[in-house]
Amino acid sequence: MRNRFIFFFMIACMLPVFSCTKNKDAVYRKSRALMDTYVTISVVAGSGERAESAIDKAFLEIERFGHKVNFFSKDSEISLINREAGVKEVRVSPETMDLIKRAVSIAGKTGGAFDPTIGSVMKLWDFHEGIKPPDEEIRSALPLVNYRNVRIDEEKSTVFLEKKGMMLDLGGIAKGYAADLGVASLRKEGIASGIVAVAGDIRTFGLKPDGGLWNIGLRNPRQKDESDELIARMHLGGKAISTAGDYERFFMADGKRYHHLLDPSTGYPADCCRSVSVVSDEGVLSDAFSTAVFILGPDRGLSLLRQMDLDAVVVDKEGRIISTPGLKGKIEIEEND
Amino acid sequence: MAGFFIARDAVSQASDVVVEIDGKPAYTFPIDRNRTLEVQGPFGKTIIEIRDRRVRIADVHCPNKLCMKQGWVSGGVIVCLPNRLVVFVGKGHGAKGVDAVAG
Repeated sequence: MRNRFIFFFMIACMLPVFSCTKNKDAVYRKSRALMDTYVTISVVAGSGERAESAIDKAFLEIERFGHKVNFFSKDSEISLINREAGVKEVRVSPETMDLIKRAVSIAGKTGGAFDPTIGSVMKLWDFHEGIKPPDEEIRSALPLVNYRNVRIDEEKSTVFLEKKGMMLDLGGIAKGYAADLGVASLRKEGIASGIVAVAGDIRTFGLKPDGGLWNIGLRNPRQKDESDELIARMHLGGKAISTAGDYERFFMADGKRYHHLLDPSTGYPADCCRSVSVVSDEGVLSDAFSTAVFILGPDRGLSLLRQMDLDAVVVDKEGRIISTPGLKGKIEIEEND
Repeated sequence: MAGFFIARDAVSQASDVVVEIDGKPAYTFPIDRNRTLEVQGPFGKTIIEIRDRRVRIADVHCPNKLCMKQGWVSGGVIVCLPNRLVVFVGKGHGAKGVDAVAG
């Protein structure tokens, strides 16, 4: 009896969340807890069955990938690379190889502001329990943070961290990459438009059933109540957007905010921005560059964005909102008090 | 009897509270009726409270209790990863008039 009701609710959940009267296409949405967060996929499809089948396949793809790059799981490929740091090279799957290559390449473009080897410092901080590590521990772990010490052998499909104690942490790029994988999987299933949101890392593709762009809200980094949840709304089609914000994982101590966006050059949280949302063609780019621009701060960050031909909305430490010229006509700033 | 109870609530026109367990929608409740729910997960019972059109995790047996720290939610998602439990709050489960929220 119970199973029948669960089945009923699964079907109920795939009722369209938005439909268009001119044709049969509608938006169907489903969410799952994956990659230590929740993933929501919306697709435009002609029926709930077709939508659900495509969405479930994309979830599987994201789940499979998530297991490989999970920093906290001892069985992941990333953990194996970290355990063998300074000892031996580790053979990895094509996706993990591709992601590490992209991460190291972006690290170079950002001058190390985004650095996937931040793991040895990141593991010292406990943002859930609000524990700041002793300064001395941060100082001694800092020489282990350097993306130039990641040795990649594409021919042998291996990755080697040159110093013992080095640790890859792909938390600043993996969710954006997963959103890209989700979109590729949906397209393979014949879905032409939708949104893959791996928590706040979002990739849109195609248009809504009414021919319009997707409406994406930007979270207010200092939300007071439900009336000021957003700072802006954007209209996107075929673009990815990711936000790096100091409000996601943080604790307060001695009146100071300690958050998870650590500057690889100091080992401490960067403090020039409240949030940075980067718009690009790929989730992997938006995710990693949002972190890099956050670390660099508005001045150097906006200069990097110009150089990379990327767009962004930056909320600086005073709460001023700066958006790049490429977003003109695509963004509406909310009027919050 | 429990089945009738859930089915009647599922067709409510009020904004919904959808509880998913292990990736599968398990219960749907209207947000406009105050109640306290008890859901079983791998780490034990999770107590979900619906009050004054808001939802919170009132108690949970898991190592970090992050979902409890999220407090009251009137639109959006509460996630308890150890228990593989997700609570979606509000029609469309998100902020007003947008398809997704970055951040």
